[in-house]
Amino acid sequence: MHHVSLRAATLRAVWRFAFRRVFGIVLVLFVAVVLTFGALQYVPGDPILILLGDQSGDVELEARLRAEYGLDRPLTEQFVSYLGGVLRGDFGLSFRFASTPVKDVLATGLAISPVLALVALVLSVPLGIGLGTFAARRKGTLADSLTMFVLVLGISIPNFALASFLVYLFAVRVPLLPVAGWGTPAQAVLPLVLLIVPAMVYIGRLTRTYLLEVLQEDYIRTARAKGLREHLVIYRHALRNTLVPLSTSIGIIFGGLLSGTFVVETIFNIPGLGSLAIQSVFARDYPVVMAVVLLYTLFYSLINLGVDLLYGVLDPRIRLSS
Amino acid sequence: MTLLRNRHAVIGGVLVGFVTLLAVLGPWLAPFDYEAVDMEAVWAPPGGEHLMGADALGRDVLSRFLVGARVSLGVALSVLAITLVIGVTLGVVSGYVGGLVDTLVMRLADIIFAFPELILAILVAAVLGPGKLAVVVSLALVWWPGIARLTRSLVLSLKSALFVDAAITSGTPTARILLQHILPNIAAPIAVRASLGVGFIIMAEATLSFLGLGVQEPEPTWGAMIRDGIGALRTDPHLALFASLGLATVVIGFNFLGDGLRDWLDPKASSR
Repeated sequence: MHHVSLRAATLRAVWRFAFRRVFGIVLVLFVAVVLTFGALQYVPGDPILILLGDQSGDVELEARLRAEYGLDRPLTEQFVSYLGGVLRGDFGLSFRFASTPVKDVLATGLAISPVLALVALVLSVPLGIGLGTFAARRKGTLADSLTMFVLVLGISIPNFALASFLVYLFAVRVPLLPVAGWGTPAQAVLPLVLLIVPAMVYIGRLTRTYLLEVLQEDYIRTARAKGLREHLVIYRHALRNTLVPLSTSIGIIFGGLLSGTFVVETIFNIPGLGSLAIQSVFARDYPVVMAVVLLYTLFYSLINLGVDLLYGVLDPRIRLSS
Repeated sequence: MTLLRNRHAVIGGVLVGFVTLLAVLGPWLAPFDYEAVDMEAVWAPPGGEHLMGADALGRDVLSRFLVGARVSLGVALSVLAITLVIGVTLGVVSGYVGGLVDTLVMRLADIIFAFPELILAILVAAVLGPGKLAVVVSLALVWWPGIARLTRSLVLSLKSALFVDAAITSGTPTARILLQHILPNIAAPIAVRASLGVGFIIMAEATLSFLGLGVQEPEPTWGAMIRDGIGALRTDPHLALFASLGLATVVIGFNFLGDGLRDWLDPKASSR
């Protein structure tokens, strides 16, 4: 009887928590829509005149384009239709490619960038945890100092600086890998390595710190005192408890990876969303820029939501106290 | 433990000091005009007249490297100054006044935290147009909430301190309480936090310039030099490699210095 009501209360708390988080994300996305819409009003230049180019004297064509792009309507009406469009996954028409929907311009990149970031995330988590555990188990030894030194280097060298070293070594000096391009597995190696290194290094440092903290807990001493083998102490007792605080950093790491795709795609000429957004800034194709901003904010929010919910699952204490 | 015994702080301090010296003396040390185009020196290899070689327009890489250090540090210091003024002011007001102001400031900070930082920078660059102003504005926009949150929490913990109560009961004006009693007591942790941020601000500036959204030609920055150099890695690697080396050195220096300062002020953190 008592158990049932406790479980019901817990379940209610979980739902309330989830609802609050989802509401928070809806709010952030709404702010993002307002921001991008506002930015579109303030960007320099008249898009229709840019589109017209040589035919800038053609009044009829200008009026037709203005109507097609909805720029002849009052601002409030434009906002409502922009918001409605975004909700349906329709980001309006591109300024660079006349009469082409933004979502068609995005299609190629949408299949590349999020996948690249997710694959890098999935690979960097175990690598980082492994590295951090390696260092923590050898705390104070030369191996620990060396690992820590490499970790600080990895966090300090910007990935495009690292890129020039790696491309020079592995594509120019020893031509193992292609210098740039996209399409073959070999062309994905260097971009992935460059995305993985900073994420792995970040996770490695956190793992080491958290693990050293957990290793001082009483239950670890108990586990050792009862004669449990060291690797069981680490993997069954200590590491599991470092996963909880580690999981809260996944959001930040994914955010970093999304930013990283901009750099990596620019270096290696990968036709992803990041390089598309940069090109679009220069081509003054603002609807495309804003669509990428909205999409990346959405991905980032969804990962953060996922992490928050995961956090509740991993740590029963959070579930009960909230 | 004195600061000089901390190996990280010393290495970091030396690197930062060296780069700062180069940045300050840069214009006098530079052997050439950083803008001077010399078609006979296009992609000249390092050595001889051009110690670090020349770039695609025959401009002296060493001169551009030195001026680039100045630009990087200048942008970083401007961002830091703006961030500190906005962050500390809003943090103090938010923490001390509380209520609606507090809620508004902290919600605003939450919303900014909800965006990946480069995304905000791209939004700003789109509106303002790529350039130095866009870099400073977007980085300040992204960095102030962190400082505001820290300041707020420090103010909150001081607000109930006895000496603040004493000042309030003796009728000290609020502005004076904030400036004379609260601010001096929160300055040190904020300074450490700020020093930890410099490396990342420099990295962010370089990233934006690398993407072409930051400092524009003909003014040199390491980020843009790496972008120009990466395309020529196969034949003329010196431009990208020297600029990368400079950037990595300065970021490593600031990160080491920041780590060292933190350990020095909070010895508990270093024992872990």
